[in-house]
Amino acid sequence: MAIPVIMPKQGQSVETCIIGEWYKKKGDAVKVGDILFSYETDKASFEEEAKADGVLLETFFVEGDEVPVLVNVAVIGQPGESIDEFLPGGVSTAAEEAVTKAAPAVEVKAEVASEVKIVSEPSDKVKISPRAKNLAEKAGIAYQQLAGSGPEGRIIARDIEAAAAVAPRLTPLAREVARTEGLKPGDTATGLGGKTAVQDLIAYNPVYGDDFEVKKLTNIRKLIAKAMHTSLQNSAQLTHHMSADARTIMALRKKFKKALDAGQISQNITINDLVCFAVIKALKKFPQVNTHFIGDSMRWFKKVHLGLAVDTDRGLMVPAIKNADDLSLEGLSAQMQSIAAQCRKGSVNPELLAPEAASFTISNLGNYGVEMFTPVINIPQTAILGVCTIVPRPKDLGDGVYGFVPMMGLSLTYDHQALDGGEATLFLKEIKEQIENLTI
Amino acid sequence: MPKSQFINPDEVRKSGEIVFQPIPVNQYNKTIREELESKNFTKEELKKIYHDMVVIREFETMLHLVKTTGGYNGVEYNNPGPAHLSAGQEAAAVGMAYTLTVDDFIFGSHRSHGEILAKGLRAIETLDSKELEKIMTEFWDGATLNVAKKAYKGNDIKELGIRFLLYGALAEIFARTTGFNKGLGGSMHTFFTPFGIYPNNAIVGGSGSIAVGAALYKKVNRKPGVVVANIGDASMARGPVWEGLTFAAMDQFKKLWPDDMKGGLPVIINIMNNQYGMGGQTCGETMGFDIAARIGAGVNPEQMHAERVDGYNPLAVIEAYRRKKALIEKKKGPILIDVLTYRFSGHSPSDSSSYRTTEELKAWEEQDCIIAFGKQLIEAGVATQNELDAILTGVKEIMFDTFKLSIDDELSPRMDLRKEPNLLETMMFSNQSIDSMSDAKPDVNHPMNENPRVQQIAKKERFAFDKDGKPFSKMKQFQLRDGIFEAIIDRFYKDASLIAYGEENRDWGGAFAVYRGLTEALPYHRLFNSPIAEAAIIGTAIGYAMCGGRVIPEIMYCDFLGCCGDEIFNQLPKWQAMSGNILKMPVVVRVSVGSKYGAQHSQDWTSLTAHIPGLKVCFPVTPYDAKGLMNSALQGTDPVVFFESQRIYEIGEQFHEGGVPEGYYEIPFGEPDIKREGKDITILTIGATLYRALDAAKILEEKYGMSAEVIDARSLVPFNYEKVLASVKKTGRIVISSDATARGSFLNDLARNITELAFDDLDAPPAVLGSRDWITPAYELEYAFFPQPESFIDIIHEKIVPLKGHVVTYNFTKAEQIRRSKLGV
Repeated sequence: MAIPVIMPKQGQSVETCIIGEWYKKKGDAVKVGDILFSYETDKASFEEEAKADGVLLETFFVEGDEVPVLVNVAVIGQPGESIDEFLPGGVSTAAEEAVTKAAPAVEVKAEVASEVKIVSEPSDKVKISPRAKNLAEKAGIAYQQLAGSGPEGRIIARDIEAAAAVAPRLTPLAREVARTEGLKPGDTATGLGGKTAVQDLIAYNPVYGDDFEVKKLTNIRKLIAKAMHTSLQNSAQLTHHMSADARTIMALRKKFKKALDAGQISQNITINDLVCFAVIKALKKFPQVNTHFIGDSMRWFKKVHLGLAVDTDRGLMVPAIKNADDLSLEGLSAQMQSIAAQCRKGSVNPELLAPEAASFTISNLGNYGVEMFTPVINIPQTAILGVCTIVPRPKDLGDGVYGFVPMMGLSLTYDHQALDGGEATLFLKEIKEQIENLTI
Repeated sequence: MPKSQFINPDEVRKSGEIVFQPIPVNQYNKTIREELESKNFTKEELKKIYHDMVVIREFETMLHLVKTTGGYNGVEYNNPGPAHLSAGQEAAAVGMAYTLTVDDFIFGSHRSHGEILAKGLRAIETLDSKELEKIMTEFWDGATLNVAKKAYKGNDIKELGIRFLLYGALAEIFARTTGFNKGLGGSMHTFFTPFGIYPNNAIVGGSGSIAVGAALYKKVNRKPGVVVANIGDASMARGPVWEGLTFAAMDQFKKLWPDDMKGGLPVIINIMNNQYGMGGQTCGETMGFDIAARIGAGVNPEQMHAERVDGYNPLAVIEAYRRKKALIEKKKGPILIDVLTYRFSGHSPSDSSSYRTTEELKAWEEQDCIIAFGKQLIEAGVATQNELDAILTGVKEIMFDTFKLSIDDELSPRMDLRKEPNLLETMMFSNQSIDSMSDAKPDVNHPMNENPRVQQIAKKERFAFDKDGKPFSKMKQFQLRDGIFEAIIDRFYKDASLIAYGEENRDWGGAFAVYRGLTEALPYHRLFNSPIAEAAIIGTAIGYAMCGGRVIPEIMYCDFLGCCGDEIFNQLPKWQAMSGNILKMPVVVRVSVGSKYGAQHSQDWTSLTAHIPGLKVCFPVTPYDAKGLMNSALQGTDPVVFFESQRIYEIGEQFHEGGVPEGYYEIPFGEPDIKREGKDITILTIGATLYRALDAAKILEEKYGMSAEVIDARSLVPFNYEKVLASVKKTGRIVISSDATARGSFLNDLARNITELAFDDLDAPPAVLGSRDWITPAYELEYAFFPQPESFIDIIHEKIVPLKGHVVTYNFTKAEQIRRSKLGV
């Protein structure tokens, strides 16, 4: 028996998802666990697996379609089975039918709208009717690459109308400026209601011309972009750098590695795990850093919900580890490993990704050899710690003896609205202390 | 086909023979002494005849010198216009004019300077001084007189009259605004109606039918006077002249028109027989009549009272006219006079007279009518040589004064079309609104409400559909033909001057039953059958209107317009402007566009008439529009070519809410009408094509979801584009269609103007859907020829907006367009 594939509801607030890519097409055989398609919420992207064996009988939406959650996206079944009952919105009740029948019999057909097609090779000589050209200029449509549906491929009014329906709409001012200065809508639309505003207009670039491809941002990229930009706009960020003697944690790491190899423990404890463990301890001593700054007040968290910046193919994700201060080192390590994997796979609970989910964030770029950086706060959090690579630095070992000691870079970005420099410095110093004197 | 006349086979099959009466040739043989003894002339009158001939000779000599030497009496002037001179023909002209009063009208030809001067001089002589002064003072508000009297110190109103006449004519020839027709007529057309001088005509024989129409006007409207058509001997070859003779000689004037209308037309066909048509010699070369008077014998049993008169002797011509005028008074017209004369000059100054010998010229010069008449005057003791010389001196003096005044750019300015670029355009139409062209009470047979047709129409449904939208039966519907009828009968009861004629107009009621009922309502002289002579039908209508009447000539099939090409193209449209707006031309030519009847009975020639400046052209296709436009046409003073379509005479009113009003209303010329509103495409039609466009609009709506706005042009000239442009602004697309063959049709004119005026609104070039450039095939093949609902869809698909899923039947591709044009098909 055929079964529908529905658009999953990912998180309470999600109402629609956008289909990213189909991995199977209509008619393909599918097995349980095969990835059917990817989709995105405004926060993350996901993949939907087949939940039955059979043939993908029908797909109701195409890539880029915005689909309400819980609506049928596809049907899996055996060849020949009817898919009618699964048509999204296609099953009409008797009542609905009655209403339809009662409606006046006048069928007003609209003139067939034309589809928007783009020609691959823009030509210098564009065939366009005067009316279409005027419409294009008024609507701010760049018609040079439109494929015309008129006689002999002429671009006619309906082509512009169709393009205008999907093309960026311009604010009145932007339209005027575009017309008079020969600009065209750029890739951003920052005007009211998503319209292209004057600042979004771009000129035709004489250097690279059309030698680029415009790729839409993924939802997650948009989200990150917005979060980062908001962060820098809405907080007073500055960064202090300090380094900590890493010999203690390196020794600990070595010990755990040995124990792991010997099978005495099952969890691979990393340097990052140790640093996080140390930071949690420091946070417990500096509760004013384990906070959210929300304008006229601050949230002081009783527990530490540690945000962990995870680099994935889809972009940066910062899932939160709830009640991290309750965890043992091994527990913390295990959770961090698991959630990072979920992020990379795309199956993390979106609610954990919200910036509000964490009370403090650690971003570790040590593995990549970064010696110093200025992480951006995940607002409304008050601060973020950047963990850098370990470099040998000369150090006074006592009695005038100097030697090279492995030192770990620490970059604390804090919101000066919430914390003073002294507090921040003391907190950073506390982290250094914790790292240098960590005992398990 | 009156039933009152029984064609009895026993009578008409009897054997017998036609007996001709002898036609007199140059039978006048009196001497001046005899004429004086008979008291036919006084000495003064004889000297005046001499004087008038001298005036003409000097006038023509002056123009000849201007043309050939670039000046006159040492004063230089260049006259680029034509000069067809009549030196040698003075006796014929003066003789012709001598018996005429201002109530008698003359019409002329391209060579009529002599005739207009003779007639003018005679008018000045016979008019009461006060009346003469009034005419001169009122003409152009005295503009012509004020210049004419500049060089005159005396106070003799008659001499001032001569100066006025010569100046008005010469200023006209030199294209001056002070000329008789503001300089718009020129040498070949100048005329002056207050002296009974009506238009001369540059089309050979043009006056042959127009003058007959003027005589018809005099008869029907009970006006005094005779009408003289001065046409050349060579013009007797022309069909329209023959048609004019035929019309003038119709039996019905004598046999069917009752009471005071009974009797022949007061018209004299005066052949100014100078024996040449340009270089062609009519006697011996280009014609076969030998003596032109012979023609009369072929026209009617009276032989048109034809005779040849020696036009080299003014007294011979006068004697003939005295006899002929008496016949006219007894209603014995028409009359034909063959006035033998000779022109000394060539056809025009460029003529080297290669077709005649100097010997011949000399022989005629030796008998010069002026010299010969002078000699006779001296011999008869009427005048001395000195007196005659004094006459010449006096004339030369006046002529030189007139010449100098006429070429003075300040006193006699030309129109300044640089300063006033629109001046000439204001002359093209008179655009007046006049209920009746006559003060008389209209002659009708019964009150209008007693008319059987009027009573029948009263029972009809004036809107095509009942309140549920169901059409009434064809018979019950107020039809297009009823709309035309209502407007026309209404005017017949308002305007006593209105007459209508054409083929089968009376009794039959017109071939398409528009006039059914009119026969009962109107006496013969207001509605009659014409000969099958389209040139005469239109030509006489022009003459009728020139004299002040209103007239509806009917051309049964549009295809027959070609038979009256000159009248429609050269005469009807031109005379208002060429007269300097002195004349009005309230002529409504009804033209019916045929269908089903093949190549010579189905053509739409609206484009041909729209092409000619000076005609108003309309083509209503609903009863409401037909009545309203006919009312406008009949209320106006301009020539209208009123097209009708045989496809839809029986159609009811489908558009105008409330149906066709019973009362009088006018629809202004030039206003197109939206017959169906829409937003996606505009269809503009001329004529009955409208109904196929509406069918196409239905297909567009039902099959392609497009809503078409359908506009009926209603008029071609004038045409207001505003409504169409507003529609195109909305839709961006337009198809322009009519049943006229597409090449050179008015559709292209509309398309060009719309392209220019609405270029930025257009989504595609206007598509022109006319008929194919073929003969009209049989009815069963018309689908391939005339625009069809399906061809509308095809042309839209191919040229304007491709329609999803549409498969074409008709080929409107560019390649096909080029191919057809290459082949001329």
